[in-house]
This record gives sequence, C-alpha cells and structure tokens, in this order.
Amino acid sequence: MRVLWFILSPLIALAVGLFFLGLSRRIMARIHWRYGPPLYQPLIDILRQFTQKSVSHGRLFDIGIVLSLAGSIVLIEFLPFGGVCPMSSSGGMLVILYVMLLMPLGVALSGGEAANPNTSIGISRNLILAMGYELPLLLVLLALMTRYETISIVEIVSAQREAGPAFVSFPLVLSGVAYLLILPAVLGVRPFEVVQAPQEIASGPVAEYGGPYLALVTIQHALSLFIGTSLFVNLLWGGASNPVVLILKMLVVFVLVLFVNASFPRLRVEQAVRYLWRWPSLAALAGLILVATIGR
Amino acid sequence: MDRNELMKWIKAPAKMAHKYSLNAVYFCTGCGIIEVPPTITSRWDAERFGVVPSATPRHANLFLITGYVSVKTLRAIIRTYEQMPEPKYTVGFGSCTINGGMYWDSYNTIKRLDKYIPIDGYIAGCMPRPEAIFVAVTHLWTLIDKDMADGYKRYRKNYAAYRANQEMVLGKLEWPPLFPKETGTGTADGAAMAMDVASHTTGRTG
Repeated sequence: MRVLWFILSPLIALAVGLFFLGLSRRIMARIHWRYGPPLYQPLIDILRQFTQKSVSHGRLFDIGIVLSLAGSIVLIEFLPFGGVCPMSSSGGMLVILYVMLLMPLGVALSGGEAANPNTSIGISRNLILAMGYELPLLLVLLALMTRYETISIVEIVSAQREAGPAFVSFPLVLSGVAYLLILPAVLGVRPFEVVQAPQEIASGPVAEYGGPYLALVTIQHALSLFIGTSLFVNLLWGGASNPVVLILKMLVVFVLVLFVNASFPRLRVEQAVRYLWRWPSLAALAGLILVATIGR
Repeated sequence: MDRNELMKWIKAPAKMAHKYSLNAVYFCTGCGIIEVPPTITSRWDAERFGVVPSATPRHANLFLITGYVSVKTLRAIIRTYEQMPEPKYTVGFGSCTINGGMYWDSYNTIKRLDKYIPIDGYIAGCMPRPEAIFVAVTHLWTLIDKDMADGYKRYRKNYAAYRANQEMVLGKLEWPPLFPKETGTGTADGAAMAMDVASHTTGRTG
C-alpha cells in the first residue's frame, strides 16, 4: 500500500496542479469579465508542447530541468497527503527546506546554460525573492517547531488534529498571519510575480524553453503550486484526515491567492524585498517570541 | 469548433493540440498592433479559443506580423521566426504584408513578406477588424486539419531560396544557416524571387 502511494501521490499532485492552473486561468478570465479557456486548457498546452520540436542549449540545459522536476517530486513524497505520507518516517521539515531549494536551483542551472540576458535577470530576481520570503518563512517554521516541539511535519499535523488548526490557536496567530502575507511570494503570483514577469523580461528563467522542455517546465509549475498550497494547509490549517478534504482546503487557499493575484499590480523586486522583510518578518518574529515565551 | 469531440482527440491528438493551443507572438511592426489588445482582452477574449500572447518565440507556435515590415525589422522577424519550435504557423495581418499596402513605394519597407519567410495565410484589410483575427484563426484550424498549414515545411524545403532572398535585402546575415544549405534545394516555386530588392538597391521604381 505504501509503495502504491509513492507512485500515486505525485500523480495526484500533478492532476491537482494542472487543475489549479486551468482554474486560475478561468478565474482570472472571469475577474477580467472574460469567458476564459476551458478547464483542461493546460492539458492541451502540454500536449502541444510535447509534440513540438525544440533545440537544446547544452547538456546542463537538459539536466537542470529534470533536476528541478525531480526535486518537486521528491518534495511531494515528504508532504503529508491527507492521512498518508509516503516518507513519513524520515526527514521532516529540515529536509523539506533543503529540497525546496532544488526547484529554483534546477531551473537556474539549466536557464543559465541558455545565456539569454532575460534568463539571467529572472534567475537573479528568483534568488533575491527567495532571500526575501525565506526569512519570514524560517521564523514561522521555527515558531511551529517550538510550539509543537518536533521537526516532523507529520507530527505537527497530528498535533493540530488534537488541538485545532495552528492558524487559529492563540500563540501561533501571528505566525499564521505572517505566512498568509508571504504566501503569494512563495507561490510566485502577483504582486510578487517578479521572476516570470512576461511583460518585462519575457518570462524570465523559462524564456529559452520551447517544445518538450516547456512542457516539463509547465508540469514543474503545476507541482510547485501543489507544494506551496499543500505546505500551508498542512502546517497551519491542520492538514486533513483524507486527501479529498486536503484538496478542498488547498482549493480555498489557492482561490484566495488568486484574488490577491488579480487585485494587485506587480511590485519591483526591491519593493518586494522591502515589503517581505518588513511586515511579514516583524509578524513572524513577534510570533516566534510569543511562542517561545508563553506558548510552550 | 470541434474541441469537445473526443474521437478526434483520440485519432489525432497532436493536430488537435496544435489547433487549440495557439500561443502567439504578436510582432508589433506597424499600426496593426492596435487591433490586438482588444482581441486578447475582455472585449473579444481570444483566450476562449486557446489563443494567448506569449512573451518569447520559444513558447509560441503562431506568428502574427501586424503591419508593414521595414528592412530593419525584417532581420528581427527572421530571427524570431527561426527561433520558434516547429510546427509553427505564420499569419500576415493587413495589406502591408501582402503587397506593401500604403507603403508600396517606400524605399525601406518589404513589399511581399512571403519572399522572406513562409506565410500560411493573410488577413487582408487596412486595418482588419479584431473579428478578422478570429476568422483567420478558424481558417488556420481548417488548414491544420487538412495539413495545408505547411509553411515551416516549405521553409525547410526551399531554405536556400529564402536565405538568398534574405541576403539580397539585408546583405550578409550574421547568423549561420538554420538548415544545411544543400537540403534547401527548392527554387523560385517556393520562395518568389526578391523582385522588390532591385527597387531597394537602385532607388525608387514606383
């Protein structure tokens, strides 16, 4: 059964991620007062990209994107998926933090091989943005680890099942607020869409991908949407006892993020870092102090 | 529109996917680009049919050249076209891409774009309305269905002739040939000879 989940959970994650992609295009279209593409438009796009011929820019260009995709698949194995977690016995949040780095790193490696100036700008923006949101993210994770006295994400989920979601429990409210404030940056949507920014830097790191490479990038993007929302739901909204409830909770979070995406214009990268290091970091720091002094 | 017919998807998935996922590079050469924003935004919403603008030629499979092409932009158009992954479709928008339009006697515009890159279809008019883009897209669907949108194959086949035409206007090109020269054995039947080059080099003839 557990072996089955090893294979099944990335596939479900892919299906959910693609559904999120289609849903985001649809909801954005409705907010723009448009009709929008069908829900399965990302599938059509991926099929089209797989059947196109493209050029490779070198060995690292091929390997990097596979590394990024592998990183996201491994990460999904570590995330609790509504009662089941394929890699529950090992790792914990520290492994998740390390493996999370593989996703932008792989794209950076392979995009760098293409030697497109837009790609370089996109990669540097990606790293700057990651520097911006990882400070509050680490503070939030520290607060969670202190509160529940564990580094295992599975135990955090089960502790929340007994005591209610962390987001609404008293000492972790500030951490929850901080995580909500950085969630658009973690997912890379507006106002933190500085990495892709099609109108400015021609899709940034993925500017040079075409054909099957672009299909892999789209799949990786879908998986990263799943990871971002799933991490939030598991850490602060108590996870779920079965996958359906988890996906429903993720859907709520994702639609909220989409409304933020539709409402705000894109920030410049230094404005984004200034914001991320000010209010979310302050809230996360205050939350950590609160938890460390009275919350345990 | 046969997007919801499952049998067609099973029979020819690649063809259907190419039809209903047209990611377009809008080459904003001339006044034609003013018709594109209403097309892709809420007034006409081209995304219903899977037509979305893409920021880079590597992501795209539809090349829309909107308006006159000066000699200087021709260089960028050729490079953009050659960077797009195959299969790719090209549509000339407006009279200027057909015969020069109101720039028919200009010294530095291209009269027939088809001589330099293969065009799968034209939208005539000055200016065509945004609806004309939808008509063009439906025509393109028919062409893809019948395997008649084969501009990229013509380019490969007649590459020598196209390259010769390009070099006649632009002088020596600084990038290497896209295909080996010997594969492109086609002659003037695929790429018409660059007649307006003479007027470009020797002065106005109009």
